[in-house]
Amino acid sequence: MGTAALVEQLKSARQQLDFASNLLVKPSPEALDSCSSVLEAAGRQLAEWQPAFSQLAGDAAALEEAWRLRRSFVRTSRLLQGVGDFHRNWLQLRGAITGGYTETGESAPLMHASRISLHG
Amino acid sequence: MSNLLASLLSSASALQAYAQVLETSQNNVSNASTPGYAKESVNLYALPFDPEAGITGGVAAGKVVSARDEFSEQAVRQQTSGLGYQQQLVDSLTAVQSNFDISGNQGVPLALNNLFKSLSAWGATPGNEAARQTVIQSATDLAQAFQQASGNVTIQASNAEQQIGQTVGQVNQLVTQIQTYNVIAMQGSKNDGGLSANMHAAVEQLSSLVDVTATFQSDGTVNLMMNGETPLLLGDRQYKVSSSLYQPQDPPPTNANGPADVRIQAYNGTDITSETTGAQLGALLHLRNQILPTYIGDASQPGDLNVMAKQLADRVNQLLTSGNISDGPPAVPGVPLFTYDTANATNTAASLSVDPTVTPDQLAAISPGPPEVSNGVPLALSALASPVQDADKVNGVSYSQFYGQLAGRVGSALNDATNSQEVQQSLLSQAKDLRQQYQGVSLDEEATTLMQFQRAYQATSKFLTTLDELTGEAINMMSAT
Repeated sequence: MGTAALVEQLKSARQQLDFASNLLVKPSPEALDSCSSVLEAAGRQLAEWQPAFSQLAGDAAALEEAWRLRRSFVRTSRLLQGVGDFHRNWLQLRGAITGGYTETGESAPLMHASRISLHG
Repeated sequence: MSNLLASLLSSASALQAYAQVLETSQNNVSNASTPGYAKESVNLYALPFDPEAGITGGVAAGKVVSARDEFSEQAVRQQTSGLGYQQQLVDSLTAVQSNFDISGNQGVPLALNNLFKSLSAWGATPGNEAARQTVIQSATDLAQAFQQASGNVTIQASNAEQQIGQTVGQVNQLVTQIQTYNVIAMQGSKNDGGLSANMHAAVEQLSSLVDVTATFQSDGTVNLMMNGETPLLLGDRQYKVSSSLYQPQDPPPTNANGPADVRIQAYNGTDITSETTGAQLGALLHLRNQILPTYIGDASQPGDLNVMAKQLADRVNQLLTSGNISDGPPAVPGVPLFTYDTANATNTAASLSVDPTVTPDQLAAISPGPPEVSNGVPLALSALASPVQDADKVNGVSYSQFYGQLAGRVGSALNDATNSQEVQQSLLSQAKDLRQQYQGVSLDEEATTLMQFQRAYQATSKFLTTLDELTGEAINMMSAT
């Protein structure tokens, strides 16, 4: 496998991560599902080519692409963390609203099942 | 007759209810592009129906309900603060970076290079008057380059101080504006959608300046806390913050005359500087109290420009005074070339200059030895360019490397801030999208969505650890030479 082709693999993985990031900017549950398969594909691709990456040691262009890939990963990771934090906080808040606090001062777990809604 | 009247009343009631729905819809359309506005709707409810008792039923309008979701509003404000911080840091560091050229074509690196060249030329012709004059001129240029670099960073510190004052002013001004809205709400306009829109828009604007937590009350007012604990507004009462210069006393300052820090104080004088880490104000404080002092010093550190200037001046003077101008008898010792303010460690670079009384023939070239070397001093001075012994280095590296490190630090910080700004921009877009998703969603729908999210998030996040390792390893493998 030539150097250029290996750099192309890095680029392709980065484009997948960028695609995942764009999905996460509008994070519906469906978008997250799609994101999951995109991340899995990117991970599989990187793992497959990783042994060959040692050929690129000291290659400035490849290193630059590797940094771009890393930055795309950081962005994806932060966006996923952002949506995770949002819903985790919201769940805690709803838990506290509906069930109060536990003995250790944490929000009561939110019970999804057998809910009774009162309207009035 | 009574039935006819009842039917007419029922129809009139329904018409009134629909008129209110229509009015609310029109209000939504009119305010579609109003910053901070959230869609409103009218709850309609059925009236009792009992023909025998003459109750004809119908429909009536209930409360006007806003689709606003305060939890997602706060999430947007949090990301707005994050973006405010990164944007400010990028702007400020871009300005700071322009002072630190690492190409060697200007400023301190160029002047340092010219001095080393002139010392080398003097070493080749130690008795040459012109070579000595060039050394003095190059030393003067280097001193001026240090003065300019230090002066520029000092100007930036002063600009940051001014910007902090202006930002604090803007914060107080916005809070005053929101206080006015609170007063209007307290006078009975708590359900006014336009007022609520203005309040939310102002609070969002405020969140780009400081970390602010807004708690909306049932009476339509909002309470504002800065950094989660310092009150800015409670009901109709505003608590102003202020900024001032101060010299920290704990631990006792090592440079009592060094540049002072800027501090932020709450309404009661409490120092809240260390808590003010977010948004535009947090970035300005970080720049002014943390980043810039590493170059020009403060109460507890001399600053790298001063460290470098002092080390270089002391070493050059030491070598020149250890040599002789003539070997006599009696031997005439050399004189120091550089002078600087020895009373203030943070003023070395700014005060560095060449002693104007020094003439070319006072530069000592002879190293007394034994053995005596006629060009020993210029040779020793030339060695500063590529130092071998520790005395010729600054913090263990050459002067050029030391300058490269301090200049590179700004570049690296700017690079990080630029990347973080891009991420933060995406996080803000994400938060705004989530706000949009949750506006007007019922609690039941919300619970279902939360469950879907929880499941999808867990499925997605499991790939992060693997990708973290793989992308990190890719860099390590390619960095290896």
